[in-house]
Amino acid sequence: MNIAIMGVGFCGSFPASGGLSYRELIARAAAMAYADAGIEAEQLDGAVSVEEDFVSGYSIADEYVPDQLGVQRKSVYTICGDFLHGVCSAAMQINTGQFKLLVVEAYSKASNILTKDELLHFSYDPIWNRLGVTPNYLAGIEMQQFMECSGYGPQDVAEVVVKNKTCGVGNAFAPYGNNINAQDVLLARQVAAPVTEQMIARPADGAVVVVLGATDVALETARNPVFLSGTGWCSGNSVIERRDHAVSEGTIIASQMAYKEAGVKSPAEDIDAFYVSDLFAHRQLMHLDALGFAGDSLARVNPDGGSLAVGDLFEANGGARLVDAVNMLRGEAGSRQIEGARRVVVQGWRGLPTDSCAVVVLDSERRTS
Amino acid sequence: MTSKTMGNRVAVIGAGMTRFNRRAKESSGELTSMAVEMALEDAGLTIDDIDCVCLGTAPDAFDGIHMNGENLIAGAGARNKPYMRHYVGGGTGIMSPIHGWMHVASGKFKNCLVVTEEKMSPCVPHPAGAFITIFDHTTEQPLGLTLIHIFSIEMCRFMHTYGYTEEEIARVSVLCKKNALDHPAAQIAEEISVEDVMNSPVLSWPVKRLDISPTSDGACAIVLSNEHFAHSLKKAPVFIEGVGFRLDTAYWCTRDLAYPTYVATAAADAYRMAGITKPAEQIDIFEPYDPFDYKALHHMNALLQDKSGRKIKDLLLSGAFERDGSHPMCPSGGALGVGNPIAATGLMKIAELYFQLSGQAGKRQVKKDAHRGIAQAWGDLMQVGTVVVMSSDGAMPTFQSNWSNKKADDLPGTPLKDVKDVPHIADSPDLRYSWDNGLALTTYLDGFKEGKIRGSHCRNCGRMMIPARAFCEVCNLKDVVDYYDLPDTGTVMTYTLSYVDWDSSKLPDGKMRIFAVIEIDGAGEDMGLIHWIDEVDPKKIKIGMRVKAVWKPESERVGNVLDCKYFRPLKDGEKADDKPVRIKPVELHTETVKAFPGRIPLSYLYTAGIAGSKFYDELAKGKLTATHCASCDSVFLPATAFCEKCMVVLDPEKDARSVDPKSGMVIGCTVVHEDRSGHTLDKPRVVAQVAYPGTVGTVLGMLDIDDADEAEIGMMVELTRAKATGAEHVVFKPAQ
Ligand SMILES: [Zn+2]
Ligand SMILES: [Zn+2]
Repeated sequence: MNIAIMGVGFCGSFPASGGLSYRELIARAAAMAYADAGIEAEQLDGAVSVEEDFVSGYSIADEYVPDQLGVQRKSVYTICGDFLHGVCSAAMQINTGQFKLLVVEAYSKASNILTKDELLHFSYDPIWNRLGVTPNYLAGIEMQQFMECSGYGPQDVAEVVVKNKTCGVGNAFAPYGNNINAQDVLLARQVAAPVTEQMIARPADGAVVVVLGATDVALETARNPVFLSGTGWCSGNSVIERRDHAVSEGTIIASQMAYKEAGVKSPAEDIDAFYVSDLFAHRQLMHLDALGFAGDSLARVNPDGGSLAVGDLFEANGGARLVDAVNMLRGEAGSRQIEGARRVVVQGWRGLPTDSCAVVVLDSERRTS
Repeated sequence: MTSKTMGNRVAVIGAGMTRFNRRAKESSGELTSMAVEMALEDAGLTIDDIDCVCLGTAPDAFDGIHMNGENLIAGAGARNKPYMRHYVGGGTGIMSPIHGWMHVASGKFKNCLVVTEEKMSPCVPHPAGAFITIFDHTTEQPLGLTLIHIFSIEMCRFMHTYGYTEEEIARVSVLCKKNALDHPAAQIAEEISVEDVMNSPVLSWPVKRLDISPTSDGACAIVLSNEHFAHSLKKAPVFIEGVGFRLDTAYWCTRDLAYPTYVATAAADAYRMAGITKPAEQIDIFEPYDPFDYKALHHMNALLQDKSGRKIKDLLLSGAFERDGSHPMCPSGGALGVGNPIAATGLMKIAELYFQLSGQAGKRQVKKDAHRGIAQAWGDLMQVGTVVVMSSDGAMPTFQSNWSNKKADDLPGTPLKDVKDVPHIADSPDLRYSWDNGLALTTYLDGFKEGKIRGSHCRNCGRMMIPARAFCEVCNLKDVVDYYDLPDTGTVMTYTLSYVDWDSSKLPDGKMRIFAVIEIDGAGEDMGLIHWIDEVDPKKIKIGMRVKAVWKPESERVGNVLDCKYFRPLKDGEKADDKPVRIKPVELHTETVKAFPGRIPLSYLYTAGIAGSKFYDELAKGKLTATHCASCDSVFLPATAFCEKCMVVLDPEKDARSVDPKSGMVIGCTVVHEDRSGHTLDKPRVVAQVAYPGTVGTVLGMLDIDDADEAEIGMMVELTRAKATGAEHVVFKPAQ
């Protein structure tokens, strides 16, 4: 694949960030990432931002991307998806041979959106799916059908919340880490049964910036590069009446792509840590099933506490996981460090009402296949 | 960007598009599926042959669907395939083939289906209103700007710099609308004269109604493949030889508006890849983006890398842009003639190069032997240039393909006079925000409160910047720490005399509003801001005029750009203010930090689409209708106008299958406790997903049941007669 992650920056996560404009928030993350990668902004060939209209309060949100990354008048475009979709796109772009050094960016100013449920309701199909009730209804149906088909019960889903929030206690980037028990989760206020309030990641502000480079460039300049060995992405079906809500088809197909490229044959054994989207707690289990995780040791899953502890950063979610994964592979994850972690999988999900997912495989050492 | 020429060559092997209509009966997804079916057929492939899909659509604000790309997965043929949506505003349509090119040129995929769509008509009362949301929410939206204002401002500056008359520019509109007469997708093709353009209503001087492309609903798709596969087909492949895309700063008032350097740089990237050194001689066909007539010329200067602008003016005035001329421009008819469903327009231009360079353009075929062409799009805040250079391996003989003789009736897409003529759904999302302005912008806005215009100074590049910034975007994000009060006087760089409001409605009582870009004294060169001008005879306003801010009384100022009422001309002998004065930046305080709760003021009227119309018409009679696909022999619920498995268009009328509305079984249900805004419901409600025997799919709706907790999987339910069109009216009740 010949692509390396040269540097990462994460300014967040905050329940609110009133002292920084979105520009200042992103510039802060960019400065971190560039310093980590050993580059200046002017060396970049361009940027891929991951953003969606209305989350930022703008239409054509890509307009406001270049300045705070220091890449004005360079090759910049915007992807709609999870942060990892942006990584997948940037990797293709470098592999055309026409670009050497790109930056991927996403941010959330969730605290600035006063009507988040209205916004999510607005993403449902206007002809078929705007039911006038909480847009989380689809999560209720998903969780119910997932449990019906997989054999997991509400207790298992609650344990995901307990585990992730507890992990978050050890993560300085995680404002929502705390000690909670399964009963607290199960008996919390119902939103869309069986989904309770505690099973839903809470919104947060933050910006993630990652520098990607062709391997030869990375080996020259980056302090401690991590290698991208496989990428995959897939979206299942947009027609929710005809989607199987018990599985994440998007993750299954995306992981097959990424595993094939990276030469992962037996994920449960080959992979040292799994980072997956847990925007809804049942989704963590669903995604792990799709990734072929055997389910033995939860310690290897979302060691940063996931979105349940770090917060829902919208498009930046997969980026926050990716930053922790890079630190893990560098052996710099502090108390969360999994000893000897050499190969990690990161999965991202776009959130409701989608099944759009992306998967990347990262290695601490360059593999030649 | 490296200077390497392209490794993996990528070819265009098929194209499809709908008609461009002011209002289409089809839903966004339905339009998309129709373009995809045609492109696949043209390439001689089925959807199963396709490795991946990428989709371009400009903003969500037109279609009225947040995360519109997610909604379009099925229509784009992307079900269970790698799929990504990209956008760069109006530049999207040419970014789409570039993104598709990345998929194939990287070696990751053998081929890529590239799909573009824009359905602008749902945004009411006029789609142009959606453009207010592209402006900076804090410093620009309060002024009531829409796209036509900044186009007019740019056109004024362009005319000033290059000495064009309005009549000369109008020739482009005449040419495009005439060329479009031969295009099957065309929305507003007609034979008009320069006088017609001049006599059309002035909307925002210098822009008149016939200088502008329309708003449109439409979709376009192409198939890209690697070289190996392209050569195995019978048709002559057309290759993407070079690509370029550049995005300039969002601070558009600080930019040279007469010459789009970002387009020139994007073109230079593409030329480097394609080995082009003399574009005027080495390129046979030009498809520059032409949302307004002057824009085609504005872009052509950049495509020819000619800042003097002389070459393009000569070519225009000598008739060289005609189809039989030396430099055919917009042989398709362009956005001005074919129509402008933004992202689909750009890809329509790529399709045109494909038709022209493979000899399939029929009546539109240019006279000269053409084997290289360029297409370009532009967008955002006058900010992005996207460029693709394409060529055939040699000059192509003209040959008849299924595209050569297509007429309007051969293309899908049903024009509507009024959305209310068909089943439709209204929705006005309540989208509200409260912006964190941060340190720099808080300082800037606090300046307005004190009757001052504030900038910040970069010690590295020496620029005095407005609005004040906390870092310098051209100096590797260097921290900027010096803030200044600047004089409240400046110079008009360009302006427009506007008769239209942000939502495209006429200003009341024939009123006129003057917008101007004003370079502020003491700020760096080209450091401008946009505001209103008043206390002036409109006939006397000109570029270079000196102006001064007029402030509201101190007691009425709140820390908002409207604290400045407008700028007025400096009087004779009146002297400008003093030099910049360094100040202490403002400590963050919540008053100004949260002073701008923003609301997105958009409403939507959606057609129910071809399938939705049939479905809701039947449900109003208490009947349930599904659609049969003969290719895969599946019966789909709810009704659909295309098969997402086979990517063939279906007819919900002819292919209808009636289903017993009493035979439903709940396969999923959830008790919901909140309304769409997140407020707690007085009484919990039940959402049910219901399956019917012999069908693929389900129906989603509300389950009307006394005790919500009794709803469960396996329960038998019957569908009730719908009282109106829309998902909220799909209601089940327990079976008797
Ligand atoms: Zn500077
Ligand atoms: Zn079928």
